[in-house]
Amino acid sequence: MAGAVSLRRPRRTGALITLVPMIDVMLILLVFFMVTSTYLNLDMIPAVRPEAGGSAAGGSGGTVMIRIGADGAPVVQGRALPGESLTAYLRDRLAEEPSTQVVVLPSGAASTQALISVMDAAAQAGAVRLRVLRLEARP
Amino acid sequence: MRLARRQEPDQSETIVALIDVVFFLLVFFMLIGRMDATAPFDVLPPEAESGSDMPAGGATLSVSAEGTLAFEGREVTAGAWLEAVAARLAEDPDLRLRINAHRAAELRHVLPLVGEAEALGVRDVVLVVTPGGS
Repeated sequence: MAGAVSLRRPRRTGALITLVPMIDVMLILLVFFMVTSTYLNLDMIPAVRPEAGGSAAGGSGGTVMIRIGADGAPVVQGRALPGESLTAYLRDRLAEEPSTQVVVLPSGAASTQALISVMDAAAQAGAVRLRVLRLEARP
Repeated sequence: MRLARRQEPDQSETIVALIDVVFFLLVFFMLIGRMDATAPFDVLPPEAESGSDMPAGGATLSVSAEGTLAFEGREVTAGAWLEAVAARLAEDPDLRLRINAHRAAELRHVLPLVGEAEALGVRDVVLVVTPGGS
């Protein structure tokens, strides 16, 4: 007589790979990404426009010179144009002459925000020919 | 009186939920965060409404409110960043230089950097801004 065949299912043992080390690694990765990442929403404005370099120098149309004082206030032809009034002024000028070149001459003591605000106003008014003049320091 | 023992919940189920939450958080922070080199000082970029999206890549030159420079997260002197950019430019002629200046930094510290980068042969120089009105 043949031996009795055991049909009993083997007992399941616990999972060979425990989950605790995986959770540890994931938590470490989580903390790493939380600490090392920056969450500022950043945009950019071109400071050098190679394609505009040639046309800006010798194009037709008028020129608007915007001076930025040390206090950051934009001045056009001796008139201070703060905030939205600069955008409105540039929009009017560009409506008359679309190829008008906007030249910005900032004071070295003005803040970066002041220059960016003027560049922003020019872009919103639709200016495509924009130059920022840099005065070299005296040796 | 019979005191029936409370049936304990299955431990594996609670751990799976924890793993799910941690995994979601991990993916969230990986997608939302930027891994750019940060400056060793505080830099709050100026606000602008007309800025365009800034893709990753390129080299970052940070300027603090006082005019201190940092290239790729490390504080540098005025001449050192030019050498570093020149080395990077030799590898990648289309290198984009991002000038991440604090909004209160005076332009006498910022604008010469654009000129120096141009003189070095960098054709793509951008100023880092943050969307205004947010």
